[in-house]
This record gives sequence, C-alpha cells and structure tokens, in this order.
Amino acid sequence: MAAKAKRQWPFWEFTLIVAILGAGAWSSTLSPYYLSVDQLFGSTRAFIIPGLLALGLAVVVSLGEIDISLASIIAVGTVTLSKFSAAGVPLGVSAPIVVAIGALCGAFNGLLVAKWRLPSLAVTLGTMGAYRGLAFIIGSEVGYTDFDDSYLWLGSEYIFHGIVPVSLIVFALMAILVWFLMHRTVYGRRCFSIGLNTDASWFAGVDVTETKIRAYALAGALAGLAAIVWIGQYGSARGDNADGSILFVVTAVVLGGIDINGGRGTISGVVLALFLLGTIRNGMGLANIGGPTQTVVLGSLLVAGVLRPAAAAALARLSNPARLKAAGPQGVESSGQE
Amino acid sequence: MSDQPVPAEAAPSRNLVQFVLRLREAGVVVFLVLLGLTFGLLNDRFLSVQNLTIVASSAAILAIAACAQGVVLITRNLDVSVGSMMGLVAYLTADWTANHPGISPAEVVAIAVVLGIGLGAINGLLVAYGKVPALIGTLGTMSLYRGLTYIYAHGQEVSSSRLPHWMLESADIRIAGCPIYVIIAIIIVMAVAWFLYAYPLGRRIYAVGSNGVAAWFFGLRAERVVMFAYVLCGFLCGIAGLLYAARVGTVNVVLASGWEMSSLAAAVIGGVSVSGGSGTVIGAALGAVVLAAIDNGLVLLRVPEFWRMFIQGAAIVAAVAVDALIAEAIRRSTAGRRR
Repeated sequence: MAAKAKRQWPFWEFTLIVAILGAGAWSSTLSPYYLSVDQLFGSTRAFIIPGLLALGLAVVVSLGEIDISLASIIAVGTVTLSKFSAAGVPLGVSAPIVVAIGALCGAFNGLLVAKWRLPSLAVTLGTMGAYRGLAFIIGSEVGYTDFDDSYLWLGSEYIFHGIVPVSLIVFALMAILVWFLMHRTVYGRRCFSIGLNTDASWFAGVDVTETKIRAYALAGALAGLAAIVWIGQYGSARGDNADGSILFVVTAVVLGGIDINGGRGTISGVVLALFLLGTIRNGMGLANIGGPTQTVVLGSLLVAGVLRPAAAAALARLSNPARLKAAGPQGVESSGQE
Repeated sequence: MSDQPVPAEAAPSRNLVQFVLRLREAGVVVFLVLLGLTFGLLNDRFLSVQNLTIVASSAAILAIAACAQGVVLITRNLDVSVGSMMGLVAYLTADWTANHPGISPAEVVAIAVVLGIGLGAINGLLVAYGKVPALIGTLGTMSLYRGLTYIYAHGQEVSSSRLPHWMLESADIRIAGCPIYVIIAIIIVMAVAWFLYAYPLGRRIYAVGSNGVAAWFFGLRAERVVMFAYVLCGFLCGIAGLLYAARVGTVNVVLASGWEMSSLAAAVIGGVSVSGGSGTVIGAALGAVVLAAIDNGLVLLRVPEFWRMFIQGAAIVAAVAVDALIAEAIRRSTAGRRR
C-alpha cells in the first residue's frame, strides 16, 4: 500500500458500502419499522462491543500477529467492575483502573509475543483460557447484577432526545482515534511496515518489540473499555461474559480488508465491515432467522472475505493472460505465524 | 525455525544431550512424571491403578483429536474446526443409526469416516487450494459445521434409547482390564505416527511444514500434501466423533464444542510446534494425557473448576515457551552448520 494512487478501483470500502446499502434495502422490505431513526441508531448497539475489540485487533493484525484472548479480557474487566461497584468505588476511579487492567493483560500478551518471540496464536490461545479462568477466580461462578446506576450510564444511556446511544459516540471517537493512529502517525506506518517485512523494518531502525507490545496493550485497553460498555448493556458480570464472540471480531477485521498476514488494510474498512455485519444480523433478526443460521451466514462471509484476494487474482489472470505466472514458493506459506 | 524434524534421525548423534533435546516427547514425558508424582504425593488415590485407568480412558478420545490437530500443525497450518467436525459427524451418524435399526457396526463406522473425510476435504480445499489462511478458513468452517448441526438437529437430540445396544455397550468393553477406547486410541496414534515417520507422504508433511520454500524448490506439491493432512485430520475427527457419541449415548448439538482448543492445547503441550515441521503425534497424544491428568488431579484435590481453565491456559503458554527455548538450544548447538 505504498501510494494511494496505486489502489485499484473499485476500492474494497466501496464494495462494502454497496453491500451495506443492499443489506439495508433487504432489511427494509422485511419490516416497516426498519427505516425509523430510533431503530437504526438502536441497532448499532449490537456491534459496539465487538467493534471496540475489532479496532484493537485490527492494529494487532496489521503487524502480522493475532490476539484471540480479547473476549476473555472483557470478562476480566466486567468482574473487576462488579467488585468495584460492590465496594462503592465511583466509576470515575474504577473505569480508568479497568482500562489499565485491560491494557496490562494485553501488554502481557505482547511481551510474550514480541519480547520472547513466541507464536501469537498459541500464546493468546493460552492466555484466552488463563484470563477466562482469572475472571472466574475474581468473580466466582455467581453472576453480579446489582450495579450502581452510574456504572450503567455508558452502555445504556441515549443522548440527543434519546436517539443516539452514548456507547455509539464512544465507539465513533475510538474509531477516529485508531484511524488517526494507523493512517496519520509514524506509529501506524511502523505497524504496517512491520506487518509487511519485520526484518526490513528492524534494519530500518524500527523498535519492533516496543511497537508490538504497544499494539497489544492498545487492544487490551479497548477490551477494558468494552467491558464498561458491556456492564451498561447487559447489567451483569460473570466469568463467561463475551465467551465465543471472538469469531465475530475476527470476521469483521478480515472482511474489513485487513490482510491476516499483516501489512495491509484500513481502519475505515473495518468500521464498514462492522456496519455490514451489524446490518445483516439486524436484518436476519427482523426476518426471524435463528441464531444457528446466522452463525452459518457469518462463517460463510468470513470465508468469502478471505477468498476475495485469491478470487481477485484469479479474475485478473483470466482477463490478462500475459501476466500469468507460475505459482511461486510463496504460495506455500499459509498462516504466516512467525 | 526448527531444525531436523525427525527425532530418530538424530540417533547417531555425537552426544546424548543433543539426542534428548531432539526427542520432542522428552519434555512432555518428564512433565507427565512430575505431574503424576505431585498429584500422587498430594492425594494417595491418584496413582492407584483404578484412577490411572480413568485418566487414560478420559484422555483416549482427546488423544485422537490431538493427533488429528497435530498432523495439520506439522504442515504449518491449524484446524480450529476439529470440535465442530466431531459434533457434526457424531450427530449425523447417531441420527442415521437411530433411524435405521439393524444397521451393522461396520456401516456406522463407514458413515462416520466418510463424513469426516468429506468435512476435512472442504477445509483442505479452502486452505491448500483456496490459499485461505488456515486460522480464518477453519474458523469459518468451525461456525459453518456447528451451525449446520444446529439446523439439521432442529432443536432435537438423539437420545440413547434410540441407539442400538451394541453401540452404547462398546464404550464399556475392556480387554484384559484395559478400556477398549484406550486400546483404539493407542492403535490409531501409533499407526499415524508410523505413517508420518516411515512413509514418503508422511515425510513430505514434515518437509512442507519445516521449510515450505525449500520443499517447493525440491519439487513437492505443497497443495496436495496440505490437502492430505486436512483429509487425514477429518478422518480422525470422524472416528473421534463416533467414539464420543457412543460414550455419551445422548448426542446433542453442542457435543465436542471447545475441543478445537483442547486438541490444540494437547498438541502444543505435547511438543508439536505451531510453527510447523516439528513434533510428533505421539507427543500430541501424551499432551492429551497431561490435560486429562491435570483435570483428574484437580478434581481429586477438590480444586474449583475454574482454576482448571487458568491452569490449562498457563500450561499452554509454558509449553510454547519451553518449545521456543528448545528450538533456540538446537539452533545454537548446530549453529555452525546453518546459514
């Protein structure tokens, strides 16, 4: 992604926008209430929590790494919040602490991955279980629902005449922040350059270890923030909070056009993919399509999202046979975990 | 990256330390012995023959699943649809068996195996020929297969009363005091280990995972090898799913969910590197025994269930770290011969 001018039309983002409009049109035929402003804004709440995770994961994936422990970090955050709420600590104190705990959990992942050079998938698989266990240890097996009202505000309140969810504003701010970080700062360029070629970046003087640890810490901090939103949306904290939601998050990141091997992608693509997935889910809900079918659709979309580059390459080869080349050895590389 | 993938090739090695370092199973065996001694000291029931039989028996199915995961990991890929494949095969097979009274055991096994191979082949097509990153492709089929199970089941379950007696009783058969599941698991794991060790296709699986570029220059068709690894994985998951169904009796839609993680954990603990090319399926099976021993020991010690999750997660991280240390030690000891 050297220069913007080189990007091939149609942009992936454009395709996503068309798909969102298509899914929206389909949804509006299902229910007369779909196109009301209340409904449209309200339905965004469904993907704010996975959306916060996806923003953080996008940064980690741009480095060519992965973090599947993020959903477990949410659980650590929610049970910690329940302890604070029970102790009567005001949210102004506990919220920064929970975000910091999330960042710490993330930084620990980053330390294992970057400093000790361990494979990120295996490490975060381990910490996924460990953090989940930690959440149960902190919160015991009983759920906590007796939250102080101030704790619920961020995730449950609406502003502007009760139309726009506060959590949507928070998500939008975070999206702009991460977009700025990845596309307008030196740090972001470093992330993409590490994702493209770690060795070359290192020779160019990029502190690979520090960059990676910061990315993981950011993802963890966003998961901590998502925990606060969770409390407001569901009003309950338990060790199994957000269990299994990582599939949706990874789907959004990949469908958003972030190359799973690192180095390519845009944050706006991720945000659009979240809107697309949210619209499809919302529409399927309106059409009374059950959870299992939704899971199948989600899985198919994920596969379609990753088959896209291969399909595009095949199309290009068909339309321009002169560029046909034999499959190189890079075709063998599969998951790019190193 | 790992060096020579085969422990046995190091047999004529000049010093013993190097040889032991190259034996990927050494770490997990030592860990298993230490674990056994610790639990044995803390609770005298742990090391009784009866309890060890329980541990082996509960590890049997996971050992097969870990073996399946191990084959794919060795090619430098992974398969997170293992649990969903087991679940789908188990449900479809049990449902078919329940609707066709008088079906023979051989037919049931054939159905399970064919289904498993089919599901594995889909994964293989995606990853080997579709060039989809393994994690993403199988994450997709994981939800796809599980979703299909839900849709097919339609809120129902196959109750044990509808299954033939021989199927339910097969889980309790013992030969010379040893549960048949343990024997089946040992036979399968040994067969796969021998295949990977002694047959050209088995060696190619290591070659592709160890250094894909070199394998390509050597003329190996990586796509076929990876495809085969996924098909073998599906085949083994079919067997594991059927065994699981026969053991639990009542087959529901969530059967074996989460097993993708347990199988991955077992393989990693058993010394199979997620970076491909090294480790053996015997190690992966031993990793399954470690997980079963931890579970069993913690229950005997009355440790709350959620500590197990924490300890299992920590064990994975520790195993990966030890793996990296060993790889580093090997790299240093052979540094002169490397580029």
